[in-house]
Amino acid sequence: MAIQIVMDRTGDTRHEFDAEDIKAVAAAERRFNELMLAGFTAASRTASGDTMVTRTFDPAAEETLFYPRLVGG
Amino acid sequence: MLAITLSSAARRLWHFLIDRVREVQVRRARYWELHASSREPEARGLTLLREWLSPEQRAQFDAERYFDVIGCHSGKRYRIRYGTSANVDELDDAGVPRMGWCFVPNAYLVAGDVMLAQKIALETNERAALAVANRFPRSLPSAPAFTVVRSRGF
Repeated sequence: MAIQIVMDRTGDTRHEFDAEDIKAVAAAERRFNELMLAGFTAASRTASGDTMVTRTFDPAAEETLFYPRLVGG
Repeated sequence: MLAITLSSAARRLWHFLIDRVREVQVRRARYWELHASSREPEARGLTLLREWLSPEQRAQFDAERYFDVIGCHSGKRYRIRYGTSANVDELDDAGVPRMGWCFVPNAYLVAGDVMLAQKIALETNERAALAVANRFPRSLPSAPAFTVVRSRGF
């Protein structure tokens, strides 16, 4: 199972989907694009544990984390 | 003689006040973190943060309540302290905080989430993070100059 984690006021909301299920992958891609349009940043981790930012949906990514746009505090 | 004594007392009072301010800051941060475990969103944020920290960062955070990250562009070291604003310090070569940076997500998030977003931003796109950030000097203001006022003789 792959997972998309979206930071929000509850801590986070997790959306799991089966990467083999075409419908589920399409829904995950739609969610990814909606979050990108809303200004979120998507990050995933490489096998070595490094973090990388991604701007396109990767159906093979096991875990993608989304956080809102950063602004000066 | 009296003026020197007064000046010395004022300096001691200044240092006393600075120490108390630091104490209050540390206690407030610890209070919020201790009570985070009993508030679900805060606890979820801390769990997510720990999942994404490197083993070294996780150990540092568990021991010190902060963790260090290396900026991907400059190679500078930053310290992210528990908190939701004004909690990122740029460290010098000796590990002393020299500059504070404030950049936060534009939606309300709990401390763990804010810290994780700051970590990812500095490690993957440091320039963009600092471009939107506000900065402030980290060192406390130096002690005021206590001028000796000589009384006029009558």
